[in-house]
Amino acid sequence: MDVLTNLLGGFQTALTFKNIYLCLIGCLWGTVVGVLPGIGPLAGITLLIPATFGIDATGAIIMLAGIYYGAMYGGSTTSILMNIPGESASVVTCIDGYQMTRKGRGGAALFISAWGSWIGGTLGIMGLMLLAPFLANVAVKFGPPEMFALLLIAFILLGSLGKGSFFKAVPMILLGLLVGTIGMDQLTGTMRFTHGIRDLYDGIGFIPVAMGAFGIGEILSSTEETLVHVVHRVRLRELLPNREELRASWGPILRGTGLGFLIGLLPGSAHVLSSFVSYTLEKRLSKKPGEFGTGRIEGVAGPETANNAASESAMIPFLGLGIPTGPAPAVMMIALMIHGVRPGPLFISEQPQLFWGLIASMYIGNVILLILNLPLVSIFINLLRVPFRILFPVVLLVCLVGTYAVNSSTAELMILLVFGVLGYIFRRLDFDIAPFVLAMLIGPSLEMAFRQSLMRSAGSFSIFLQSPVACTLIALSCLLFFWNIYRALRRQKAWESALERGE
Amino acid sequence: MKASVKLVSILIAFLAIVEASIAADYPTKPITLINPQAPGGTLDIQARAFASVADKMLGQPVVVVNKTGATGMVGGLAGAQAAPDGYTLTVGSVNIPNAIEWEIANGRKPPFTRYDFVCIGTFTMSPTLLIVPPDAPYKTLADFIADAKARPGQLAFSSGGLYGMSHLPAEIFVRAAGLKVRHVPYTGGGPSLTAIVGKQVDFSVNYPANTIPLIRGNKVKALAVIGGKRLKSVPNIPTTKELGIDAEYYGWVGILAPVKTPKPIVDKLKDVMKRVVESKAFVDVIEQAGDEVHFLNGEELAKYMEFESAKIAKLYAEMVKETRK
Repeated sequence: MDVLTNLLGGFQTALTFKNIYLCLIGCLWGTVVGVLPGIGPLAGITLLIPATFGIDATGAIIMLAGIYYGAMYGGSTTSILMNIPGESASVVTCIDGYQMTRKGRGGAALFISAWGSWIGGTLGIMGLMLLAPFLANVAVKFGPPEMFALLLIAFILLGSLGKGSFFKAVPMILLGLLVGTIGMDQLTGTMRFTHGIRDLYDGIGFIPVAMGAFGIGEILSSTEETLVHVVHRVRLRELLPNREELRASWGPILRGTGLGFLIGLLPGSAHVLSSFVSYTLEKRLSKKPGEFGTGRIEGVAGPETANNAASESAMIPFLGLGIPTGPAPAVMMIALMIHGVRPGPLFISEQPQLFWGLIASMYIGNVILLILNLPLVSIFINLLRVPFRILFPVVLLVCLVGTYAVNSSTAELMILLVFGVLGYIFRRLDFDIAPFVLAMLIGPSLEMAFRQSLMRSAGSFSIFLQSPVACTLIALSCLLFFWNIYRALRRQKAWESALERGE
Repeated sequence: MKASVKLVSILIAFLAIVEASIAADYPTKPITLINPQAPGGTLDIQARAFASVADKMLGQPVVVVNKTGATGMVGGLAGAQAAPDGYTLTVGSVNIPNAIEWEIANGRKPPFTRYDFVCIGTFTMSPTLLIVPPDAPYKTLADFIADAKARPGQLAFSSGGLYGMSHLPAEIFVRAAGLKVRHVPYTGGGPSLTAIVGKQVDFSVNYPANTIPLIRGNKVKALAVIGGKRLKSVPNIPTTKELGIDAEYYGWVGILAPVKTPKPIVDKLKDVMKRVVESKAFVDVIEQAGDEVHFLNGEELAKYMEFESAKIAKLYAEMVKETRK
């Protein structure tokens, strides 16, 4: 049992007092940046790099990795309690998580989210430990045609995201796609809708838009509510999920782990995609898809597990090949290089102590996070007892500071506020915000992958048929598309016949 | 009149004293080093390595801040417009002339030019390597060129982004060798490397720090160094110059300060810069990352930028003309 001996060696490294301490610091800081809206794991890691100069490479990577997966635990907190995504992978958690809070089940949502995160995280590390070199070599095969096919499925799933009607989702998707086109086209350098404004060259950032449309919009529309929902002092028992909620979340947690782990291998912001795909999958599989969006525990358990599993597998290309494919692993690699360790394809065999030490520390870190997050549930829930007139201005301030802290850009503050007002208008008109925000994220990537594929093949569509993976996924998306139409027609027929019978 | 002359001379003397005392005290607070590129790139490693060594020499922390956007224009502009007091410096790189010349080639006015900066010096000036998948049927660069010429417009290369520092050397090489190939831009250096390791494209061009670990792990094969001098870390790989192809492009990384920074502070920074690049701690980090330290002092860098800008401007003018056609 080679793996076991290696892992034992890893625990020997990770279980020193110093390394446990560093792991704890990383996890704590990760939770903080996850909870604070705006600041995500990337900014969290970058800020703490100078603090690692004095420690050895193993300690440094243990601490920085702790921030990375720790942020995935914290991200759900503000999504569930205040409808503000604490981190971009937690956008879909807002949909049902916040509704659960409004029904008084916020504690249960937070509990399940931490529990799912732990399972997703721990199983993710196992996958990372056993399959890293193998999966790293598989992941690099996933090129633009395959990416296009996967995003096509995600795009078709967008239509079924909202709780409202199809006709209310479509305008939001179109609007999201339009906003997504703003900025410099990365394949030709052409400026789209930038009107010479330099702040728009890179397009409109996902985080300010998501925070604005969800969070600021929510704050604005809450001011209109005359009914003040007072949260009574809750007993511990009411904080915990009941038996039914626990049972309902097992499936989503396990599916979320598998899905998140696979999607996490893809380049870019895979963890955002993982939570979204998990959410829509759960909605598809549910016997009562109509109840999604009104506070179903499955809509929290699945995505929150998926983004943790994705955060573990996103480290595979970086640890297995030395090529970071996402922004946060890229910064972790820099930190290692400053300590004189250059990860490459031979990293695991050349630096076994470092690799296995990191793996062991991740098991420990996930346990620390679980222990840390469960008592926090009751503290966070009590935050809701702060009167509205005090709580929401503070939240607004935190949103503004968090957005500014990431890029120190005043333009992003403007974007945050503009989309806050838009979010308020959408809410008043009863449009769903999630399809808008996610279309804005998926649209440009979809276009990019499509055009990259055609640039590779000199305009020939055969490139999509040559790859078995792309071919299967495209066939699947066609099926999904026609199934959607069929179901819509059938529903309409049923409705018409009911109408006739009524008359 | 006389009084005003006196006043002016007193003022000048006063300013000179103030200036001297600024330099003598400098720095009295942390120094911000703006990196216009995303965290995780070549610039980031070198800037952070510099920060970790310069900290001790300056007696004040040097904080690297990533201010990304518009392919480096946002950070570059912030650096150019920063107060010229030596407390805000910019990580300069070949990306700065790239971005400026690209704006000019497209008929836009660049928000700042290289004359807005005073050069402090460079850390590195690396050539790129031409890489192909390890099982590609090429043994030498000549094999590769022969194949590309036999199938014009068929081979494709990946880069980390349009007109960025991994696109231009490829473009320069391809033009010098007279090849017709296709370009597929990816979003960043990491995805561009995955593309070549995963055989999504036929070749790619990248810097030693990124490619040498992959060459050692047999994930890619290097055919040539694009430039005139062989690399110490892979001495068996020939240069394009040796092979008779006139292609040269160096990805330099260094430090720039706003042009109005007082001379005593600039001199102090130049001195610190020289000591940092000579220090073992800094050299070790750069070499372990697979790179080589290559120091140009401020004057040399300014002269090189002049030469480089003219070259890039010419290339972009051709490229813009071709896309418009």
